[in-house]
Amino acid sequence: MKMKKIMALTMATVMGASLLTACGGSGGTTSTTASTTAAAETTAAATTAAGDAAAETTAAAAESTAEPVTITFWHAMSNAQEVSLTELTDKFNAENGKGITVELVNQGGYSDLQTKLMASAAADTLPDMAQAYNNYFTDYVDKIVPLDDFVKNDFDNWEDIVEGYRIENSEYGFITGVPFNKSTYPFFYNKTMFDRAGITEPPTTWEDLEKDGAILLEKEGVPMLGYDSMCDMLEIFLRQNGADYVDETGALFNTPEGLEAIEFILNLYSKGYARLIGEDAYFSNLMSSEMIGGYVGSCAGVTYIVTDNEGHEFELGVAPIAQGKKNAAYNAGTNLVMFTKDEAKQKAAWEYMKFLTSAESQVKWSIDTGYVPVRTSAYESQEYQDFMAGDTPGAITARAAYGQAPYGYVPSNYFPGANEIRNVVSDTLTVCISEGRTAQETLDELVTAINDVVQ
Amino acid sequence: MKSRKPTAIIAEIVKYVILIAGALFTLLPFVWMVLSSLKSGSEIVAIPPTIIPTHFMFSNYAEAWAAAPFPRYFLNTVFVATVTTVGVLLTSILAAFAFARLDFPGKKIVFSLFMATLMIPGEMLLITNFVTVTKLKWVDTYKAMIVPWLANVFYTYLLSQFFSSVPEALYLAAKVDKCSDLKFLFKIMVPMNKNAITTVAILSFIGSWNSFLWPLLVTNSTNMRVLSHGLVRFQSEAGAQYQLIMAASCILVVPIVIIYLFLRKYILEGMAYTGVKG
Repeated sequence: MKMKKIMALTMATVMGASLLTACGGSGGTTSTTASTTAAAETTAAATTAAGDAAAETTAAAAESTAEPVTITFWHAMSNAQEVSLTELTDKFNAENGKGITVELVNQGGYSDLQTKLMASAAADTLPDMAQAYNNYFTDYVDKIVPLDDFVKNDFDNWEDIVEGYRIENSEYGFITGVPFNKSTYPFFYNKTMFDRAGITEPPTTWEDLEKDGAILLEKEGVPMLGYDSMCDMLEIFLRQNGADYVDETGALFNTPEGLEAIEFILNLYSKGYARLIGEDAYFSNLMSSEMIGGYVGSCAGVTYIVTDNEGHEFELGVAPIAQGKKNAAYNAGTNLVMFTKDEAKQKAAWEYMKFLTSAESQVKWSIDTGYVPVRTSAYESQEYQDFMAGDTPGAITARAAYGQAPYGYVPSNYFPGANEIRNVVSDTLTVCISEGRTAQETLDELVTAINDVVQ
Repeated sequence: MKSRKPTAIIAEIVKYVILIAGALFTLLPFVWMVLSSLKSGSEIVAIPPTIIPTHFMFSNYAEAWAAAPFPRYFLNTVFVATVTTVGVLLTSILAAFAFARLDFPGKKIVFSLFMATLMIPGEMLLITNFVTVTKLKWVDTYKAMIVPWLANVFYTYLLSQFFSSVPEALYLAAKVDKCSDLKFLFKIMVPMNKNAITTVAILSFIGSWNSFLWPLLVTNSTNMRVLSHGLVRFQSEAGAQYQLIMAASCILVVPIVIIYLFLRKYILEGMAYTGVKG
């Protein structure tokens, strides 16, 4: 009986407390109007004084957005990424001088964000802006604010944005977004193990993949290669062999080059030079226990590789991935898109987009998170160059990413079904590899699976 | 005791060995979670895995706790789960009683319609429910997290099956004694089926405690988020901090364990009843 009383009391207290806090949550104030307006005027004056060609438009934009405005930004960044994004946003909120406040809203992981955006599109409650891959909004592309005019009239140097990202953001026929958090897939490897096996340089060609894979398997007894994402691996090898992957009409690799690439992939697995991830989910875990010589995965994942496990201490190496007949390296990561229909908010969101993609912000963001800068000038800045010259895991990864940047492509995924294709290709390929299908069978199964999605 | 036959003793031993093995087997994931929560970031990904951590990293708990506003999430979760459970019990008991005991026109059709909704997968309702909640301007409120779950067809069905098995003679006898329907329900029907009702309460509470997607959809501010949202903070596209996930999971599971300890008797009986009923 006494127990029950205590229990009841506890429950009552907890409920009471939660009710109290529930009521206290909605008292946000916005009282910075006067000071920010004044600041906006100074900025406008300063810009005009600078007297460059774009000054007039910028000043005009500054004046018309002088009204304080709050915009909501939905993102899917966690851990160090979220910390860095918050720091950048705090800086923007404090220093933009136009009365703009950006409110960050974390919406879980990418897939959660994607679901939430889709539901919000249906309910017509999309946020002012969000992170998004192109395949998120195939069903509601009409709700995206075209950024062409903003880019044309109010962006310092669009050509400075890495070309692949510019192409990606124009896939729908207009500028849908600006690139923000971009990663690439370099080759992470166990340098100590490679040295021990007598492999002095990481593989740079397809032939090296086979040759070094055989050496490592013989000397160390472990596979040399793993791919965190099977569909991305397929696309990399297809492109490197001069084949196309998919578009809105379906699979494009039913060609001799496509068959050859698939044959090469299957060979890597059947000989034991590469392995599937199975239930382990991330190859960074296998790396940390030296169960694999190396793997290809996101450069933002370097912090998850542990190199000082007892009995498994090793030196980490990171290199650009091996290339084939043609050069190709996979780029991933989301863009910033705008949904708000309100003109003042659009201008505010654009100011924030400009800020996040500025060279200065990109340098900080890239150093903090392991993402790669989206601007050439950010790459070339002294600060980023100094960072890359270091010997931290982040710096080594950044060097490798920089090394393969010229080959970088962004997968085309703006058509309906693009997202589902990723899943069916990964599943089909995994099954074909583990069941030892021939190259022709694998090719046929992949083509059928993809065309089923598209049709 | 002396009079026991050796075969009986052996049978007893075998019985306990099997039970102990079963208990260990069931406990393993839980023990593994606790042990993993105390490992370092490097030890947790070591293969072959260590069982006992070489260094007990109690700091994981502090780190996990600090990574998200867990106290706030905790209060939100407790509040939402409790109100949802109380509400769903009320609606289910009333509806179940109506279906089990009362006669009203169209009862069979209404019941069939209820049952038909069980065939619709929850995922299909996600977007439409979200649109409704948005139109009601409930986004970012407790209402949005609670109200859509205040009626549950499965629980209604389950309870109505239990209520039907209570002899009708009792109901008629109560009627003779001028007992109202409502009084009969709460004085006789509910106490007689308290195990089944406890089961429904537990299922509802756990379901609400674990829900992730719906609360994420209908909330935007950190103040309104729930515990399960705190857990995903340790995962990213490129890797996961398993030791922190485990530490946070341990924290999350504590209240459920406490509730279980208090309600153990009812839960076990309730589970046994549902088993017998099939």
